[in-house]
Amino acid sequence: MNIVVFAKRVAATQEEELRITGDGKAVDLSKIPFKMNDWDNYAVEEAVKIVEAKGGTVTAITIGNQDSDEILRRAIAMGAKDGFLMETVEVSDDPAVRVEAISNLLNKENIPFDAVFTGVQAEDDQFAATGGILAGKLGIPYASMVIGIDAVEEGHFIVRRELEGGLQERIKVKIPCVLSIQSGINEPRYVSIMGIRKASKVERKTFKFNDYRAGQEAMIELVRWSYPEKKGGAKILTGEMDGICRELLGILKEKGVYQ
Amino acid sequence: MSYALIVSEVRRGQFDERNLDSIGFANLAGKAAYLLVPQGDYAIDKGSVDLIIDTGLTESAFLNPLVMVDAITKVIDTAGMPDLIVFTHSSSGVELATYTAGRKALPIITDVSGYDKNEAIFYKSYYSDKVFGQFRKAKEGPVIVTVRSGSFREFVSDRGKAADTKALEGISGSVEGREFIEYVEEAKTGVDITKAEFLLSLGRGIGNKDEIPVYEELAGILKATISGSRPVIDKQWLPKERQVGTSGKTVKPKVYLAMGISGAFQHIAGMKDSDCIIAVNKDPDAPIFQYAHYGIIGDANKVRDKLKDILKG
Ligand SMILES: Cc1cc2nc3c(=O)[nH]c(=O)nc-3n(C[C@H](O)[C@H](O)[C@H](O)COP(=O)(O)OP(=O)(O)OC[C@H]3O[C@@H](n4cnc5c(N)ncnc54)[C@H](O)[C@@H]3O)c2cc1C
Ligand SMILES: Nc1ncnc2c1ncn2[C@@H]1O[C@H](COP(=O)(O)O)[C@@H](O)[C@H]1O
Repeated sequence: MNIVVFAKRVAATQEEELRITGDGKAVDLSKIPFKMNDWDNYAVEEAVKIVEAKGGTVTAITIGNQDSDEILRRAIAMGAKDGFLMETVEVSDDPAVRVEAISNLLNKENIPFDAVFTGVQAEDDQFAATGGILAGKLGIPYASMVIGIDAVEEGHFIVRRELEGGLQERIKVKIPCVLSIQSGINEPRYVSIMGIRKASKVERKTFKFNDYRAGQEAMIELVRWSYPEKKGGAKILTGEMDGICRELLGILKEKGVYQ
Repeated sequence: MSYALIVSEVRRGQFDERNLDSIGFANLAGKAAYLLVPQGDYAIDKGSVDLIIDTGLTESAFLNPLVMVDAITKVIDTAGMPDLIVFTHSSSGVELATYTAGRKALPIITDVSGYDKNEAIFYKSYYSDKVFGQFRKAKEGPVIVTVRSGSFREFVSDRGKAADTKALEGISGSVEGREFIEYVEEAKTGVDITKAEFLLSLGRGIGNKDEIPVYEELAGILKATISGSRPVIDKQWLPKERQVGTSGKTVKPKVYLAMGISGAFQHIAGMKDSDCIIAVNKDPDAPIFQYAHYGIIGDANKVRDKLKDILKG
């Protein structure tokens, strides 16, 4: 079983202030730490787990600038055999453009795969689109929000995909296919600094993104950025911690949930 | 005629409320609403759309992108290319929409939560709603969208007459590539957080698993029930039955005290109707403050410890 898994380097913005600059043309990420997209961490782990049980190889691919090499080292430290960087200075806002390049890379470089894994979504653009567009373009089966791979059998996977409110559907998906992996499917293994250092010694290959883009133009364009509309918002409790907490307890009493 | 093809969602025999956002979006964009539906005798407001296209497919076949792309192709062959193909931004909607975009080589914008008709601009969330990207089509032609639940239902309108139903013949509900086996329901065990009047809800911001027992202590004193956001459940800090959100439970307690939760829409959708929402977060820009009634900007664990001190007095 050969699995190609996609992993993206994303800005960890949860605790950071995001500033829009240049008249709405850009978001300033210069002071923000980066990391592997959370969902991709689960996707890499799932791919490695399957190959450990069934044999085969995992190839990790990332699209980005040279800094994205850290994602490949991490994936290799987790158990991927190869790491490919599709190098580009700027990744297009249109997922269709990256899918064009991905599918051309898979074809032209004859990268064999039984399955392509992606994360359900990237934390930055939240498109949740790459896996589905890729499967459609390649004309192979697709399943997203995969929360359990129950069996890897001759010619197909049995997977569970998440619907809403705790409901899941169990389906049979023919190989080759694309699966988008949901967070919580497994417990991604711990990666040590030593592990990363060892992974640095494994050769990674670089491909120029634009060589595979095949002239595909973006079909949608991001014209400007904006902040969310303010919806009234919360009354912020201010002052000393002690006073704030007493005020909070007062609210709980007033609402009748605490005496 | 310019129309929007709306791919509906029916789950467990119910016409899902999320469809109202798809219909509302088509109205806002000024397109006739053609609703693609599976078979079944669910209730549907026929006055809210212009045409109903009955595929004759089962509800579970409607979950299969390989089947649905054929149904959509058939509609296009008979009714012409729509200006919009609209899906809900749900688990199945996103799956169907992206696969269709790939097969048909059509542009797609997902998680659309706003639309400016004058400029034909689609608003799409980035970084869990910290900023929005304003998109437009690069060329004339159809576009596929998935719309965020709750964003457009106010634009649903009554046509004053019931829409006609047209049958779409000859769509096979089974394909070799992907087969439905069964629905799997989450086991109902332990606590039911939907019954609690006071939820103390924990997010990734609390830091690590070792903090949980300390929150449990506070919950014990306050007689609150503990719940959490998805990452907290994914990391197994709390069991699955405690998860609030679209892929967890929808809760409506008297008080929802959210600590270290950013407020991604999948979380908000599960708790926004609580009587009173109080959020503790160290980021003043955290989206959850837009939905909360009261907010504390600060370290959740420090607030927790202070509350405990005061209560133990
Ligand atoms: C298909 C799908 C379904 C999903 N279903 C759900 C669902 O049902 N429920 C759900 O919750 N999510 C769901 N999600 C995930 C959702 O998109 C978010 O990733 C998730 O809600 C984020 O959880 P969080 O707020 O705990 O973590 P984060 O977004 O990482 O936020 C952590 C917050 O804690 C704050 N913080 C950090 N340190 C501190 C501190 N010391 N004190 C106070 N605050 C601090 C940060 O400022 C930040 O705002 C789903 C996603 C997908 C794609
Ligand atoms: N630049 C990228 N490099 C590697 N993988 C990516 C990239 N962009 C998207 N992906 C993959 O596609 C998934 C979904 O991304 P998106 O469609 O952008 O939400 C991610 O979880 C990754 O697995």
